[in-house]
Amino acid sequence: MTDTVPSRAEVHYDRHTPEYREQFEQVTADMQRCPVAWTETYGGHWVISDHKSVFDLARDPQLLSSDHDPHNERKGYKGISIPSISPTQTGILEMDPPDQKDYRALMNPYLSPAAVARWAPMVADITRACLDEKIESGSIDFVDDLANIVPAVMTMALMGLPLADWVIYCEPAHAVIYTPPDSADVPRVMEMYFGMVAKLHSELEAVRQRPRPGLVHALVTAEIAGATPTDELLAGMLSLLIGGGFDTTTSLTAKSLDWLSNNPGERARLAADLPGLINSATEEFLRFFTPAPGDGRTVTKDCEYAGQQLREGDRLWLSWAMANRDPEVFPEPNEVKLDRTNNRHSAFGLGVHRCIGSNVARAIYKTMLTQVLERMPDFVCDSEAAVHYPTVGVINGMQHLPATFTPGTRLGDGLDATIARWQQKCDDEQLANPVVATGA
Amino acid sequence: MAPLSKGIVMKAWVDADKCQGHTLCAMAAGEFFVLSDVDGHASAPNETVPPELEAKVRLAAGGCPEQAIVIEA
Repeated sequence: MTDTVPSRAEVHYDRHTPEYREQFEQVTADMQRCPVAWTETYGGHWVISDHKSVFDLARDPQLLSSDHDPHNERKGYKGISIPSISPTQTGILEMDPPDQKDYRALMNPYLSPAAVARWAPMVADITRACLDEKIESGSIDFVDDLANIVPAVMTMALMGLPLADWVIYCEPAHAVIYTPPDSADVPRVMEMYFGMVAKLHSELEAVRQRPRPGLVHALVTAEIAGATPTDELLAGMLSLLIGGGFDTTTSLTAKSLDWLSNNPGERARLAADLPGLINSATEEFLRFFTPAPGDGRTVTKDCEYAGQQLREGDRLWLSWAMANRDPEVFPEPNEVKLDRTNNRHSAFGLGVHRCIGSNVARAIYKTMLTQVLERMPDFVCDSEAAVHYPTVGVINGMQHLPATFTPGTRLGDGLDATIARWQQKCDDEQLANPVVATGA
Repeated sequence: MAPLSKGIVMKAWVDADKCQGHTLCAMAAGEFFVLSDVDGHASAPNETVPPELEAKVRLAAGGCPEQAIVIEA
């Protein structure tokens, strides 16, 4: 330490350890006693854990940069992962305005509430087919047989990729999230992940050769700040859409179904009044489980915040998960209240980087939850056999969640036939086109 | 516009610089807030809040993650 380094509040904080997942509530309470603090882990970084500070800082993109600049063309900042793992920029989440805003404007018409509403029949049908595959057997893995599939197929549809290809992306998309950075499995997982990125590069070329509607088409025809984006940047964007589209809604579904299984009284209350409770219950599960628990930033200029001296280049972690347990904003923060009001949670982030897929996530989640409660109302999750992600440092999720229920009857055809039918419909009706402003 | 009792009319609007399109206001008070088809950002076509929607609009303002809803009453 030199005399140019001011004294600062220091804590030990390592969100990639199993202890952090197991003792999250205690760690959060401890951290919030000193909500703007420096920790030495992962090269050293600030950790922001109370709602007020997270709210202030997340909404100031001039002070906190999301930029990831692996080729050192700007300031060499390291983006939103702590530790930084990807050798390339991860789409708009690792950009600052104005470019970030231009890309967002390009993608919004595919992901707005009105755009997503057009997909409701497909989401309902894919969900129905997933449940049909298991309904007669009386047992299901809510991750493998439902929550891994519906968000993935929907993501393929929005991107304009072949729906059946969801299975190619599924394992790499999840494994890259749940594998801890110090795991011996990292080389294998990264190889699989780079295979996925290579596949995305080939899809960019395929859509250029034979245009078909969807987010891939929007990106390959984009002109941002007068230039065509590089394929490396576009592949990063597609990887982000897949990562964001696949893993997060899966996690919310698994965590909340496990909770409902353990709280059958609350489950019965929800099932008895779905129209009245599904919106508030969804927001409450988002707050409580916060599938994406935080994002990293880089401080762009020396400044004082909350009595601490932040310096240009310092890394900083905005903890959405801990902010969502702040008792100043959420009374009894560690209780799930299905009818909670004033639930201004930050599960989708705050500020200009609000999750662009939030409308997709909510629509898919509510469809899956509704159909499970209607068709498997007495499900019992096997908490002993459930596999939680070993680290919740990137996503608070589960790999497996087996459950049993009273068997029921099928309503339609199986998953493969259903996906094939919707692929035909996507092609015939060009479903993945953007919404057009009505000028109302 | 019919004033409320005591002659006070409640007004509310969305600060477009703060709204990021979380859409929770339209869930809480869909009769008052509308969302853009293109980006989902919210607006209030009519700033005067009908008395029967006051409570809902207050809940929407309290639940806005960006605190982008301004109430004047």
